[in-house]
Amino acid sequence: MPIPVYGFLQGDTVGLVLVLEEHDTFQTVAQKLQDAGSLRVAPREKVQVIYNAQAMDPSSTVAQAGVQALDRIDVISG
Amino acid sequence: MLNREEWLPLARKLDWDFSYVSEEEVFPEVISGHPWLPHSEWKDWEESFKTSYREYVDNQYEKDMAVYAVRDAVGRLENVQKLAAPWMNSLKVHAAALPLAEFTGVIGNLRGARFGRDSAWRTMATFGALDEYRHTQIPLLLFHQLVKFDSQFDWAHKFYHTNNWFAIAARHFFDELTLGQNAIEFHIATNFILETGFTNLQFVGLASLARESSDHMFERMVTSIQTDEARHAQIGHPVLETVMKHDPEYVQFLVDKWFWRNWRIFSILTGLSIDYLTALDQRPYSFREFMEEWIIDQFLRTLDEFGLKKPWYWDLVMDELDIYHHMIYASAYSYRATLWFNFVMPGPAERKWLRQKYPKYWDDMNAVWEQISERWRMAGPGAENELSVHGAALPTFCDLCQLPLSAGTPQKNSARIVVHEGGKYIFCSEPCQWIFQREPERYANHKDVVKRVLSGEAPSELPKLLTDYFQLTPETWGKDVYHGNYQWMGSRKTSAA
Repeated sequence: MPIPVYGFLQGDTVGLVLVLEEHDTFQTVAQKLQDAGSLRVAPREKVQVIYNAQAMDPSSTVAQAGVQALDRIDVISG
Repeated sequence: MLNREEWLPLARKLDWDFSYVSEEEVFPEVISGHPWLPHSEWKDWEESFKTSYREYVDNQYEKDMAVYAVRDAVGRLENVQKLAAPWMNSLKVHAAALPLAEFTGVIGNLRGARFGRDSAWRTMATFGALDEYRHTQIPLLLFHQLVKFDSQFDWAHKFYHTNNWFAIAARHFFDELTLGQNAIEFHIATNFILETGFTNLQFVGLASLARESSDHMFERMVTSIQTDEARHAQIGHPVLETVMKHDPEYVQFLVDKWFWRNWRIFSILTGLSIDYLTALDQRPYSFREFMEEWIIDQFLRTLDEFGLKKPWYWDLVMDELDIYHHMIYASAYSYRATLWFNFVMPGPAERKWLRQKYPKYWDDMNAVWEQISERWRMAGPGAENELSVHGAALPTFCDLCQLPLSAGTPQKNSARIVVHEGGKYIFCSEPCQWIFQREPERYANHKDVVKRVLSGEAPSELPKLLTDYFQLTPETWGKDVYHGNYQWMGSRKTSAA
């Protein structure tokens, strides 16, 4: 079941709708948001995904973290 | 025969006692506004500029003739075609946003003309309605004739009738400000905050911007409109003065709410026009300088005069002066096909000027423009490559102002999520959240573009969203004025380069 969330990429000028899958890892989530914002923000190699004010383990999944539709997810340098 | 000084007070002050109905029935609070006070509290209502219907018609006739004379002299297509391309697109923004917004002002004023609590107020609101009707017709006439030259000018009529995202935001604002508002809130929010606070002086500034851009038709039009605004904006002061005596906290709430709502729309329309859609050598000031010189000081003085405080988020407004409209412009540029006007990229000279005017956050904005430039270099210039240098993911919108979630800074977007009665709402900023939470019943059922897409009401694929929902066509949707063909950008890169 696709999960639409609000994605905020550090360095970008606007939030984007990101459609996630339950099995997406946070590494995939970071890649999806970097791709979506790549017109305005140069992709970075080292990034972190922040969800509920916590840095997420890149290998854990969206389902494991309990991400719900219309939650906020940030991708920041680091 | 009475002379003017003798009959005018009789004509403009014509109140009477009701015998068959109560005053509360004639002026119900729900439509006359809060606080409900007996007429004895309003009987001293007095406008500072008094006029009669005859004087009004004579004056307006002369002003109309002056506008038409300028149109006949410099409003021909060949004159318009000489205007710089960025300014032409500022005109398209105003051509769409202005006329029917003014028409909603007719409705708001007519509410005051019926439900205002004193006859002098009602008389002035009647003139105000006639003013706003004029402010609808003149820009429709002057702008829509340009459709022969450029089909994007069709949006002068079309804009508010579409579900374009900016039209949704503008409607959300004007529906509340003017169409669905009670007489007291309408006159405080529109006359005291929008007109006295923003547009009265904005029109002076816009006229000077138009003059610098050699656009004498627009200059004359906004000057003519401004003279009406200066008169009918005066309605707000005596309304506010009376309400202040009875419920000053409510007035402060209205000031805080409406300054923010006005700021959101105003900073986009005017900020983009000054800092991006006016050619660099024709910019008399930056948007920040304009705000400081024309708006901020004057507004604070007026608040002080009435014993009101600065809105609680004032420091945020001061900070946003440096960044908000820049984030909106870069976002809108990268989604330009969702709008009805064209954009220009700031080149090295423009960016040098912007850095000088906005040193605080310009490094972050410069990085964004560098990246967009890089995409153009990869795609190569040309109309056929427009959509290769365009956003594909759905952008997000605030559940209060309905504008893109482009607040805060590129380093930290200030969007925040709130759960209300089981539903999730996202706001671009703390004041938008605060406004929503003060009166959630007003706003909770309105769907932003994202929720319309997710519910299936609007298409999720960008091309269908543009054509079927935003009612754009490949001819009318926004493009880069030069299709990425900027000398400063250098030659095309190959992907292997």
